[in-house]
Amino acid sequence: MIFHRWKRSGSFWLLILAALALALALLRPTLRLPQPVYRYVFVVDITQSMNVRDYHVKDLPADRLSFTKAALHKVLEDLPCGSEAGLGLFTTQNVQLLFEPIEICEHLSVINDVLAHIDWRMAWAANSHIAQGLYAGIRETQKLGDETRLVFITDGQQTPPLPQRPVFQGKPGAVKGWLVGVGGLGPAPIPRMDMDNRSIGFWKKSDIAMTRVGDAGASGANTGASRRADQDRELYLSSLDETELKALAGITGLRYHRLERPGALSAALRAPEFGQMRPVAADLRWVLATWALAAVLVPYLPSPRASSKRG
Amino acid sequence: MSLAFLQPWLLALSLLAVIPFLRTGQKALTYSSVALIPEDRLSRAVDWLIRCAAAASILCLAIGLAGPYAREQWIEKFGTGAHIVLLLDRSSSMNDNFSGRHMGGGVYESKSAAARRMLSQFVSRRQDDLFAMIAFSASPIYVLPLTQDRAAIAAAIRSAGGRGHGLTNIAPGLAMALSQFAGQPVTGSRIILLVSDGAARIEEETREQLKHAFRENQVALYWIYLRNPTGARLAQKPKNLASGTTPEYFLHEYFNTMGVPYRAYEADNPEALKRAIADVERLENRPLRYLEKLPRKDLSGHCYAAALLGVVLLAFAKAGEISEWPA
Repeated sequence: MIFHRWKRSGSFWLLILAALALALALLRPTLRLPQPVYRYVFVVDITQSMNVRDYHVKDLPADRLSFTKAALHKVLEDLPCGSEAGLGLFTTQNVQLLFEPIEICEHLSVINDVLAHIDWRMAWAANSHIAQGLYAGIRETQKLGDETRLVFITDGQQTPPLPQRPVFQGKPGAVKGWLVGVGGLGPAPIPRMDMDNRSIGFWKKSDIAMTRVGDAGASGANTGASRRADQDRELYLSSLDETELKALAGITGLRYHRLERPGALSAALRAPEFGQMRPVAADLRWVLATWALAAVLVPYLPSPRASSKRG
Repeated sequence: MSLAFLQPWLLALSLLAVIPFLRTGQKALTYSSVALIPEDRLSRAVDWLIRCAAAASILCLAIGLAGPYAREQWIEKFGTGAHIVLLLDRSSSMNDNFSGRHMGGGVYESKSAAARRMLSQFVSRRQDDLFAMIAFSASPIYVLPLTQDRAAIAAAIRSAGGRGHGLTNIAPGLAMALSQFAGQPVTGSRIILLVSDGAARIEEETREQLKHAFRENQVALYWIYLRNPTGARLAQKPKNLASGTTPEYFLHEYFNTMGVPYRAYEADNPEALKRAIADVERLENRPLRYLEKLPRKDLSGHCYAAALLGVVLLAFAKAGEISEWPA
C-alpha cells in the first residue's frame, strides 16, 4: 500500500493548508476595516459659456459642459461604495439642488441618468455671477450636514463683468471641497444655440451688450454704451479665469483644481482629507484564494536541487 | 443572466493553468532501468488526472479571484399603481407662504415646503408606483427619470423645498414631463401631477402640440393649484377677459378641453393640499406591470468550491507520492 508512510513532503502540507483556506473562503470571512468614504455635492455651471468647445482630449467631448459630465461619470465610477453624491445646477447667482446626496453604488444608474440630462437649456436665466453662485453653493452645502463637501464646477466666465467682487459672508473653510476650473486658458468663441440645441453661430459682443441692457435692473452693470460699433461686431470670447477662481478658492477656503483629465479630478476628489473613515466590511476571500493558488503552483517550481541532480 | 467580472484583468492568471501540462509536479526519482518498466495505462491515466486536477484548480482560482458576478436582473411583477411624473413649480413665488385661512400648524411654512412635505408622505405610501420629477421655472429642469428608486425620489423631493428662482413658464415643463412617458410600456395609470401656484399663457401652436402629446401618451393630468387667497379662482370666469391677468382660468379651460382625464384642486392652505393628494391616491390604482430589480449576485464562491475539490484531490495524490523507492 502506498499510503504507508506518514512522513509527508512540504508540498503536501501546503495543499492541506490550501484546502483549509478554500473551505474557510466558502464561509465568506470579512474584516471590518476603516476606509474613507465621501459625501459630495456636485454643482455644475450651466451658463452658455460652458458650451465653448476648447477641450481637445481624444475620445472625450470638446465642449466644457460635456467634458465636465464625462469627468463626473468617471468620478462616480471611482469613488468607493458607501460614498454619497448629490447634484446641483448653477446659473445667474443661484444654485438649485436636484437631489440631496445619495449612496452612489446602489443609485448609480439614476445618478448617471440625471447627470447625462444636465443641459444648458435648464438655465432659468442667462447671467452668470460666479462669486454669488459659489457663496450660494456653500450655503446649500452647509445645510446638508458637516460631512458634506462641495465640488463647484465652473469656467469662471463672469457675465456681465462686475466692478467689485461681492463679500463672502460665511466662514472660510467651514465648508470643505473643491472649486474646479473648466475650459482652456486661451480665449475661445461662445457657441450660440437655439432652444432645439442647433448651433446658430457665436455670441458677439454686441449681443451680450443688448442682453445686459435687457436686465440692467437686475445686474446694475455698466452697459458700456461708449463702445465703438466695430468693436461690438467682434466675437465675445471666453477663457478659464484661473486668477479669479484661485482668489475665490482662497476667500472661501476651498481647494482649486483645474480640470484637464477626468482621472486627475477623480484622484483629487479621493484625497483622504475630504473623506470620513468608516468601517467597511472588506472581503477576505481573495487573500485565501491567492494563498491556495500559490500552494497549487509550488510543486511545479523548479526544484533548487534539480541542477545538482544526477541523471 | 449576464456574467461580468469585478477585476477582469485577473483572468490573465488562468494562463498559469497550462503549467501542469508542461511540467510535472512530482519529484523525479532516479531508477536505473526505466526502460524495463512496461507501459502502464493506469499510471498514465492517474498522471493525466493529477495534471487536469491541478489545471482545473488553478483555472477556478483565477476565475474566482477575478470576481465573477451575475449582473443585476429585472423580474416582472404585478401590482396596482401608476407612473407618476411630479411636475413642480420652482418659481420664486413658491417661496411665499399660504396667506389667509390656515387649518393647522405650518402657518409660516412656504408653499414649496408644504408641497414637499405632502409629496414625501405621498411617495412613501405609494410603494408600487414609479415616479419621475421635473422642476420648472423659466425653463424645465430634468430632476429624475421614471424610477422605482425610492431613496433617490425622497432625496429629490427633499431638495425641492429649497428656494426657487425665476418665472413660471408652464408649457416647456409639461412637454418635458410628457416626454418621460415616451418609450415606457403603457401599464397602470399615467399621471402628471402638476403642483404650481400660478400659470402662464401658452401659445396656440404649443397648446395643440401638448394636447396631441397628452392624448397620444394617454396621460391624465392632476393640477394642484396652490392659490393665494387673493389669486384667481379656476372656475370663476374673470370679469376682464384678457388672459394676461388671469392665466390660471384660461389654462384650466384649456386643460378641460384636452380630452384626457383632468382634475384640478385649488389648495389655498396645507389642509386642502393634503385632501387633494389623498384624492389622487384614491383614484389612481390600476393594475400595473412593473419590474423589480434583483441585486447582482456574486459567483466567486462557486469557483472556490470547485477549486476546493481539485485541491483535495491533489492533496490525496501528494499523500500517495513516495520520496524514495521502498526497500
